[in-house]
Amino acid sequence: MNRVVITGIGVVSPIGCTVDRFWSALVEARSGIGPISVAPTDRLTARIAAQVLDFDPSQHFDPKRANLLDRFSQFAVVAARAAVRDAQLEITEELAIEAATIVGNAAGGQNSVDESYFKLYGQNSPRVHPLTIPRWMVNAAVSQVSMDLGLKGPTYTIASACASGTHAIGQAFHMVRSGQARIALAGGTEACLTVGTIKCWEALRVLSSDTCRPFSKTRSGLVLGEGAAMLVLEARDQALSRGAPVYAEVLGFGMSADAVDITAIDPDGAARAMRAALADAKANPEDVDYVNAHGTGTDLNDRIETTALRKAFGPSADRLAVSSSKAVLGHSLGAAGALELAATALAIRQQTIPPTANFEETDPDCNLDFVPNVARDAPIRNAMSSSFAFGGLNAVLVLGRA
Amino acid sequence: MRNDLDIIDDVRAIISKSLKIPIERLTPDARLDELGAESLDVIEIVFDLEEKFNITIPFKADEGSRASKAADGNGEMQFSTVGDIADMVKKLVEAKPSR
Repeated sequence: MNRVVITGIGVVSPIGCTVDRFWSALVEARSGIGPISVAPTDRLTARIAAQVLDFDPSQHFDPKRANLLDRFSQFAVVAARAAVRDAQLEITEELAIEAATIVGNAAGGQNSVDESYFKLYGQNSPRVHPLTIPRWMVNAAVSQVSMDLGLKGPTYTIASACASGTHAIGQAFHMVRSGQARIALAGGTEACLTVGTIKCWEALRVLSSDTCRPFSKTRSGLVLGEGAAMLVLEARDQALSRGAPVYAEVLGFGMSADAVDITAIDPDGAARAMRAALADAKANPEDVDYVNAHGTGTDLNDRIETTALRKAFGPSADRLAVSSSKAVLGHSLGAAGALELAATALAIRQQTIPPTANFEETDPDCNLDFVPNVARDAPIRNAMSSSFAFGGLNAVLVLGRA
Repeated sequence: MRNDLDIIDDVRAIISKSLKIPIERLTPDARLDELGAESLDVIEIVFDLEEKFNITIPFKADEGSRASKAADGNGEMQFSTVGDIADMVKKLVEAKPSR
């Protein structure tokens, strides 16, 4: 069994497309939530989202290639390139055939779907763009990453809604640990801020109209986001022997299904995934200092997640620092778990706990230390990152110091 | 022109269909939660009412039995009982600009 470390991180996020910008906004509680501008708003009730605004495809792709990639694939490729650069990794042919690529995604190429369906139903056009399917398919992003970097090992997409990114990194971790892959590029991507998709989220009536305030008594719902994070995972021995920079060690991965409700989170299922991750990491609850929570900012999620943390951690819950990055990043669905794991790895490396931004008032039902608004320098031995998806699918990772 | 009784009958019919409960049980003081409505049932009822009456109901699933600020800005509307819902629909229908 290999020990597995994170040696590279690449992000495309509402708070910046470099790791430095991403981390400084998280620590300074600077939210990426703002007025919607990536989609026309005349048919929308929602007014806000966490959008990636400083992303210019022409900076990254020639026009012919950009034409083949939906925005969610562009994000994944740019994040993956950045992760490989960050890891100072040279992908030789020998390494490429043993490299796994696993990308989490919830919604596929929604910009391409929206454009084609608008032509079809909105404009009564007899035809749609011929590349609609290769842009739209949910595996387009992972395939584009594999082609762009020449990675030829096990390659697939994981779709588990809001847990996709965490499931993807967990799978990659298990592959590198078992030796099935020598190296893995794993993460998540999402770009579904289209009129159609936002309208469907509005219909579910869970969107906040002002901002995202996880765990605060004044929370008012979730705010949609977009972005991508890709990470390089490799065997610790290999990373050390090539002198690679190491952010953190991946210690454990736990999964569960609630088998209860298609939207509501269940405390037992969530707690089981957390306990499974601790067991896989051979860690006890008291060994964990920080949890980067799912914390969507809906009344139900944050209340039940608090209950689940208490179930999983027992008396140790009272000495945990818990924060949600969604006040800053919004909820980028299939990318969320990957962006949040990137935040968790950076927290470990910097020994700094990023705060829960937009926090206003303590809720008696959410009675843990949520590190409100101000970052905290504190020793972090081990940290956990949790994702609890619609459909009751839960994925939890545990990281340790490198 | 719709009268109030028509509105109440339509509201009861929509709730009855969604919750698979006989109309006779849908008295004005019957509470949705006691009738077994779950959150996804409630948002479907809200959708059906909006479609039927061509209104927008300011309801957020997150806030349970409360709807958000009313369209006329007169505080929050209640969404607990069959009667509450009929009153809300009536207000919103009346607030619609007449053609």
